[in-house]
Amino acid sequence: MEVSHSVKERTIAENSLVILLQGLRGHVTTVDLRDESTATGRVTNVDAFMNVRLAEVTFTDRQGTVSCLDELFVTGRNVRYVHIPDEVDIRTTIEQQLQAIHRVRYFGGRDKGRKEFPRAKHK
Amino acid sequence: AGGAEQRRPRRRPGAERSPSPSRLDVSSSRFDPLLALYSASTPLPFPAAPCFNNLAEYESFQRGLLRPRGRRSATSRRGPSAAARRGPPAADPERIQRLRSLMVNAGPEQEAAEGGATARRRRAPRNVLTRMPLHEGSPLGELHRCVRDGVKINVHIRTFKGLRGVCTGFLVAFDKFWNMALTDVDETYRKPVMGKAFYAEPQLTLTRLFDRLKLQESSGKKGADSKTVSEELALTNDSQTLALKAGSGRARAEDEHERQKRLGRAGEKKMPGDSLHLAARGEADVGSGTARTEGASAAGTRARSQSRKKRRPKVDYQQVFTRHINQIFIRGENVLLVHLAH
Repeated sequence: MEVSHSVKERTIAENSLVILLQGLRGHVTTVDLRDESTATGRVTNVDAFMNVRLAEVTFTDRQGTVSCLDELFVTGRNVRYVHIPDEVDIRTTIEQQLQAIHRVRYFGGRDKGRKEFPRAKHK
Repeated sequence: AGGAEQRRPRRRPGAERSPSPSRLDVSSSRFDPLLALYSASTPLPFPAAPCFNNLAEYESFQRGLLRPRGRRSATSRRGPSAAARRGPPAADPERIQRLRSLMVNAGPEQEAAEGGATARRRRAPRNVLTRMPLHEGSPLGELHRCVRDGVKINVHIRTFKGLRGVCTGFLVAFDKFWNMALTDVDETYRKPVMGKAFYAEPQLTLTRLFDRLKLQESSGKKGADSKTVSEELALTNDSQTLALKAGSGRARAEDEHERQKRLGRAGEKKMPGDSLHLAARGEADVGSGTARTEGASAAGTRARSQSRKKRRPKVDYQQVFTRHINQIFIRGENVLLVHLAH
């Protein structure tokens, strides 16, 4: 379960539904874009801003022209829909992703390492 | 005695007579603070009390965190520098125990007082799922009610300008951006129309969308000629447009546009129907009237049914589509409004 290395992206993802999309990594999905074009492919990566990377993509232009692409990057703002595959359970995926973030955040035990939310120190 | 008292402040701490205990006792009425500051034998009421450098430290300690050891080393460092503040160094375990008991008592009280939202290690997790019920009283709180109670909702989706269509389904999750995860979704939508038609097109509303869909479906079921469908649709549009803007100059222009569209959809035919059409258009230039429209279209239909063989596939740019999707995620930016179905 790859969690983003950036604390900022982690918090943004943790508090929004982008985390659901991040849980779709590896699944084959269809992304409907804002301009009525569609891209069907395997999700490689989704970041906190909903930028989506797809691999082995069938891209249907808004005019209807179909093309096959090895990789496609869609800017977050251009996403309209993401079709979620039937085998994915929404609630469970979100919880799994949240757990992954929790594990990363509290890695290394209580008193070791740099903490994400520093506890109030006495002295 | 008077002279000794006068000289007292200037004397070094070691050389003075020991004053009466009540002068140095903090709780007595005869307490003399100046004397207490310079006296070597000021008794501390609580010798084992932890020493802090400022109020913030004290506050932190009160919140009950961390190591007594750190606190103790701080105390031992600060001890000699403070004027007469020497308490006997308490035994480590005893001190720690006392501090710990303080912490344990303060802990639950503190939690209760501040509602548990302190900077404790096990703070309540704040993530997208826990934030969903937090919007009570606001529109997003209504959305949460839909999630909780499984209310079917209609989400109006927007295109760059105006309505695209409707998604009806059950809400599973949402967030503050109105991103939504829906299940069992039926989407009714229309691709945005471009070009000249875009300017002539009356604004798409939900009623128009479903009217068009109904017309489409009913015509489809009858197995009728698709041209007839477009005829009917054009008729509806025409009558609507004309009814809405009767008498205005713009109506005439729109009439023209509608007729052009109708012609375009029907496809140019080299048939007698064409000449009829042209005649109709000529008539339209003179004035507008529903009767004339009907007359023209009736003629057109007759003509076109004769020319069925030469039918060319035509694209209805205003066709309404319907599809069913099991699970979908909608980016909040595209949401126009959410309508709860009762």
